[in-house]
Amino acid sequence: MTIQITGTMLLQGIVSGLLSGGVYAMIALGMALIFGVMRVINVAHGTLLMLGGFTTYWLFALYGLNPFFSLLISFPLLFLVGLLLQRFFVSRVVGAPELSSLILTFGLSIFITNMAVMSWTSDYRSVEFLTGSFLLGPIAISKPRLVTFGFALLITVAAFLFLNNTKIGKAIRATSQHRELAQVCGINVRRIDMITFGLASGLAGAGGSLISIMFSVFPEMGRGYVFKSFLVIVFGGAGNYPGAFLGGLILGIVEALTSLLLSAQLSEVTAYVLLVVLLLLRPTGLLGGRT
Amino acid sequence: MPGDFILEVHGVSKRFGGVTAVQRCSVALETGKISALVGPNGSGKTTLFNLITGVERIDEGEIFFKRERIDHLPPHKIARRGVGRTFQLIRVFAELTALENLLVVTRQDWEPSYRRASELLTFVKLDRLRGEFAGNLSYGQQRLLEFARVLMIDPDLILLDEPAAGINRSLLNDLLSAIRDLRASGKTVLIVEHDMKVVMDLAEKIFVLDHGEKLTEGTPEIVLKDERVMEAYFGR
Amino acid sequence: MRWLALLIAFIILAGLGTMPLYTSNYIITFTLQIFMWIALAESWNLISGLTGYVSFGHVAFFGTGAYTAAILITKVGWHWLPASLMGSVTAASLALLIGYPCLRLKGPYFAISMLGLNEVVRALVSYFDSLTGGGSGITLSPMNSILPLYYAMGGIALAGLVITYWTITSRFGLRLLSIRENEVAAEAMGIPTAALKLYAFLISAALPGIVGGFYARYVSHIEPLGTFPLITTVTMIVMCLFGGRGTIFGPVLGATLLSLFQEWAWARFLYIHEAIFGAIIVFVILLMPRGILGVLQQRYRLPRIV
Repeated sequence: MTIQITGTMLLQGIVSGLLSGGVYAMIALGMALIFGVMRVINVAHGTLLMLGGFTTYWLFALYGLNPFFSLLISFPLLFLVGLLLQRFFVSRVVGAPELSSLILTFGLSIFITNMAVMSWTSDYRSVEFLTGSFLLGPIAISKPRLVTFGFALLITVAAFLFLNNTKIGKAIRATSQHRELAQVCGINVRRIDMITFGLASGLAGAGGSLISIMFSVFPEMGRGYVFKSFLVIVFGGAGNYPGAFLGGLILGIVEALTSLLLSAQLSEVTAYVLLVVLLLLRPTGLLGGRT
Repeated sequence: MPGDFILEVHGVSKRFGGVTAVQRCSVALETGKISALVGPNGSGKTTLFNLITGVERIDEGEIFFKRERIDHLPPHKIARRGVGRTFQLIRVFAELTALENLLVVTRQDWEPSYRRASELLTFVKLDRLRGEFAGNLSYGQQRLLEFARVLMIDPDLILLDEPAAGINRSLLNDLLSAIRDLRASGKTVLIVEHDMKVVMDLAEKIFVLDHGEKLTEGTPEIVLKDERVMEAYFGR
Repeated sequence: MRWLALLIAFIILAGLGTMPLYTSNYIITFTLQIFMWIALAESWNLISGLTGYVSFGHVAFFGTGAYTAAILITKVGWHWLPASLMGSVTAASLALLIGYPCLRLKGPYFAISMLGLNEVVRALVSYFDSLTGGGSGITLSPMNSILPLYYAMGGIALAGLVITYWTITSRFGLRLLSIRENEVAAEAMGIPTAALKLYAFLISAALPGIVGGFYARYVSHIEPLGTFPLITTVTMIVMCLFGGRGTIFGPVLGATLLSLFQEWAWARFLYIHEAIFGAIIVFVILLMPRGILGVLQQRYRLPRIV
């Protein structure tokens, strides 16, 4: 199947990818926070995203609530969910070998996802709110993508401001840099763990809400995002949150281009190959030296 | 051969993100002697151990073991060439028995034997606990097990990371005499230690590190009289 | 003591072997499934139970084997037995390709890279549709009797058990365990951790490859969605963890108990068993991380041959 790939199409792909990359970045930020503070890889991150997506869907379908307003509900709701998950489950494996937290969050994600299937069925649903695109020169910019990108950017910037300027935010960063030292300085790390997990879940939930505006909502929708978030974190390096943001954008672009140049199905493969290549180039993984 | 240097570390540096853990450090260990690496917390002692044993990669410099360059080898190859080490935080194989902890050693030319493992367990007085899971042993017993494990490799160079930490008096004396026995059999020992009494007791040469750099080196008497050493430990 | 164990083993094997003579088709089919899960759980045990490297995408090897066998049977005309054996070759090759780079990483990074593997293989299978039939899959001609499959699956389950036994009681197995217990210390003892992990991984991938081949023959129709489902990995994991990771018979115990449970639950509530598996995983990790046999091993100081 040979199609003439024009420069316009390439540019279109890049723009498109850039916009979805923003959402990736926001979701990945949550996972990076959890890993940084607790050294836990949250395999349930995609599931939290899904819960956010469903929150938006039900609020839209039952009450006609503007999905962008539903962010005001999904973020705090998922914050609470994350807080509780951390308090009752994840906290018990924070000191244990990392594999325990992996399997634990894996088990949680399986449980929650299937409860969702049983409650809401596996049907695909959509939030028909914003559709269509507008033209910027020869490029068609999808309206939902643009607006969700804007919100993702907004939320991410807000998160950065929070981390850099508030007392709690600084405590979070201190704990992720040096846990023992933070404890010695009087920081209640258990509370920081809860808040971080809540914050990260809120970000994932917000991501789910935004994604629901662009794509279908269904219980397994979060599945690929854990992997992609991880890819983004590996790209940026641990603790390097701006780097992770950049990674998200790049992932979006690479995916869009692969979809254009090769095949939509192979875009999954590119993300994977990218991760393996990255991990090989930085053989010690995220933390570049220490494990 | 006396005067020979079994380990030579030339101008080695290591950075972690923005922190420089080891800065252009050069150390040469004379074969068959006991040397000590001292310095305040955070001076880079354990990092240096990690660099020598290949757990971390050096950013610059070279490391030679028996005249052979080893700095880019993976840890297990360095261990097989005859470099053994213990760890600051105990690392025993908890769900393996004491005996099994010793039997997993892998060297190029020989397979570890039950006999050798038994002898070593007897040497550290853990013989009757040979079938016990290592995770169930007391702290002091685990320390001894680690020590036996290091000897199982039959290393020519032994790196001990704070061997005296948390050990009671009587065990400590056993440990010290065991280390002296090692030296008597021709092995080279490098210990990292905070307990200055132990250092003075054992070491024939001391290297002082501060903030990742080698401050000074020499025999115990000379080093302790050096003002800079006092400053590094107590000053500021 | 040894004679007693061998006698018991013989009796069990003889019983299972002669069972098809006097039981219903339903029981034969059910036991066949238990055999399959035993083989899968044991294979997951070989990599994740022994080395502690959690393989989240293990069903990829199962699916690869299934497709290899199906293609060889339908397009080249092979008999299902050698076709399935070839499945182990392709599965092991995939494991080599992925394992070589990924096992060098520390545990968590390996686990995440395995998370994506399954999706990737499934995407590739869908993409190369001329070979694999794409979304519509491959259909095999129907079988007359299920008996050969019963014995084949039983054979592979037994093989899995024997391989696990040999591994755990060997120095190789001891070294794998030391990697799980403390990889840094293992390296300091001269153990070539990357190479050993790879060997274990290859074996742990070859087994599901064969099982997948048998599975393809058994269901006679495979397509991407049903052959690479996450639930298969989840089931492998929960059975191994529940029964006792790192033990020889733990996966057998887990496979048997949870298959019975699954059969009971399936009749009553259609999807709840998957949710319950998730809950069991959480439960096991928090309260008995070593699984049933692991806990018994610790409590009663049973030898590792359990």
